[in-house]
Amino acid sequence: MSTAIEYFQFVLAPQMLIGLVLGVAVILVALGLTIIFGLLDVINMSHGEFYALGAFIALALGSIGLPFWLLVILVPLLMLPVGYIVERGLIQRVFHSSERHVTTLLLTFGLGLVMEDAFRLVFGPNPLKPETPIAGAIDVFGVFLPLYRLFLIVGGAVIVALVALVVYRTRLGAMVRAAAFDRDMAASLGVPVQHVYAGAFAFGVALAGLAGVLLAPIYSVFPTMGRDFILMAFTVVIVGGMGSIAGVVVAGLLLTQVQAISSLYISPVWSDPIVFGIMVIMLMVRPQGLFGRLGHG
Amino acid sequence: MTYKTTMLAALLAATALSGAQAADPIKIGVVTPLSGTYAGIGQQVRWGLDLATKEVNAAGGIMGRQVELIYEDEEANPSVAVQKADKLFQVNKVDFLTGTVNSGSTLAVGQVAERAGKLIATTVSFADSITTDKCSPNVFRVNARAGQQSAALAVWLSKDKPKANVFYLGPDYEMGRSTVAAFKSAAEKVGATSSGEVFAPLDSKDYTQYFGQLRSSRPQVLYTSVAGNDTVRLLTQLQEFGLLNNLTVVGASGTVTAQNLPAIGKAAEGFVTGVGYSAQIDTPENKKFVAAFQAANKADPDLYGADSYGLIYAYKAAVEKAGSTDTDKVRKALEDLKWQTPQGEKTLRAGDHQAIQTMYVVRVSGGKFMTVGQVSGDDAIGPDACSRF
Repeated sequence: MSTAIEYFQFVLAPQMLIGLVLGVAVILVALGLTIIFGLLDVINMSHGEFYALGAFIALALGSIGLPFWLLVILVPLLMLPVGYIVERGLIQRVFHSSERHVTTLLLTFGLGLVMEDAFRLVFGPNPLKPETPIAGAIDVFGVFLPLYRLFLIVGGAVIVALVALVVYRTRLGAMVRAAAFDRDMAASLGVPVQHVYAGAFAFGVALAGLAGVLLAPIYSVFPTMGRDFILMAFTVVIVGGMGSIAGVVVAGLLLTQVQAISSLYISPVWSDPIVFGIMVIMLMVRPQGLFGRLGHG
Repeated sequence: MTYKTTMLAALLAATALSGAQAADPIKIGVVTPLSGTYAGIGQQVRWGLDLATKEVNAAGGIMGRQVELIYEDEEANPSVAVQKADKLFQVNKVDFLTGTVNSGSTLAVGQVAERAGKLIATTVSFADSITTDKCSPNVFRVNARAGQQSAALAVWLSKDKPKANVFYLGPDYEMGRSTVAAFKSAAEKVGATSSGEVFAPLDSKDYTQYFGQLRSSRPQVLYTSVAGNDTVRLLTQLQEFGLLNNLTVVGASGTVTAQNLPAIGKAAEGFVTGVGYSAQIDTPENKKFVAAFQAANKADPDLYGADSYGLIYAYKAAVEKAGSTDTDKVRKALEDLKWQTPQGEKTLRAGDHQAIQTMYVVRVSGGKFMTVGQVSGDDAIGPDACSRF
């Protein structure tokens, strides 16, 4: 019995805690993705590059002396107009075609490629790394955890709660959900659907930027960083149910824990196949995901 | 007046031209990545070759003939390298060829050279196979191979951390597994014990999931051969988790480089690796070379620049010894050739065409690579494992 407790304390618990940090990172990236999908029905392939854009903006502003805590607020605010313009200027142009899924997917995929090359031209191909804003570490029940990672877990939970609050408890959120559920009905009731769409896209992009700011000190900043979390984020969105905030949280935590714990027993190379295997099974037995779509019950 | 100067210039140009025609230049083809991921390495290769060629030409060329370099971009892609090498041999009729960076390109271009009956030399590729099981009579390597780097590091380890307990962490593909295996056998030979190994997928986001295993095996030394941004993450995450205290991190020569060192920052302090060249080498020859390189290119030479620079002098010595640019005669002259380079005297071993040279152990200190030791060429070279010639 005591060996089981020791095993839990020294092997399993640290691994789960580390998995939790990764889970929060994935959830932060997937949150914006699922909102954009749930409302606009657009699969945003450039989401990873918006995540990178947030990190690069934070890096550039940080280098002229702005403090990290200001950037956490400032960068998402700067990303809002970027997202708004992209939605109105690019996505709306192909949105009303009958092959919306294909056209928007190709458009955002191309946009992602252009952005990635732009990062390379502006910032160079070499990795960059901002200083970790909170130094030091603490012992949580004998498990070593750097303070910044602890902050990420808490901060991530707060962000998810705030987003859920906005979407489910405010008038703005009600308009968003209404537009997602029935666009024409919402429009006829006076909801400015065009602006709600662009605003929701901007909100999703701002969340990606926020994730970029928060994760840069851990994962460093480089032009192809957008590819890092995007596969995992898509998987989380699919398993959780496209457009569901609760689904993102549950699936994000679940899948990263599976990854973390499985890598204790089998070669870590297998952790990706396991996660994508779960996604495939999910698509076969319950294609709508764990939870339903945004605005749909 | 203007007419006169134009005439004069034309006349001068004509004499310069006819002077060059009197003795045909020796043409050296350079197939190197000038674009893409390895463009930075190709840049160093070009700077080194250009500088040495300028010096050789200013001093009268090779046997009175000027040296001409013809560049082709191989985009770090073996199939492109093969096409470009073929073109240089068949169309430009080059006498000699160099520049290939990735080991696949060097092996492929070596086969092209065999068919064309010409010689090539690499100044960059690390893979041991080029001068061991896949050796070719037409291929020479003037830079140190991976085996020499890990042998040098192991010798340093045995002196600085005798009987150390070593943990290995490599990227999970051919290069990662072969570098770990090579260093493990070199380290165990000099008395180190191995406490565990783990192979992480390439482009791993988070190395923290391996830290439990690392901590529980209580190593004094961590050997890693991850590269690029993976190194940034590994080292900074180790620092974040407080694991860098009482742990010496050593690695492959490509693990910490000038490209990722700024991003790693303080977490790179104390990192040790074995290399064939360092700009900090404290000899008059090297200081002269570094000064000339900086004056020409506004940048420090790295191992690629220095080894490429040295190659031109090896070729010059061989052609002068052979009295010809004929393939068989130059091959014979290159075998067992001793010549001077910025990092000291090198010898091209006849048995496998691998350069034997003093190896250096460098440590990151204050954000710079400082030389902390050297290992003689004979101690680092290892046995001749080439059986083709």
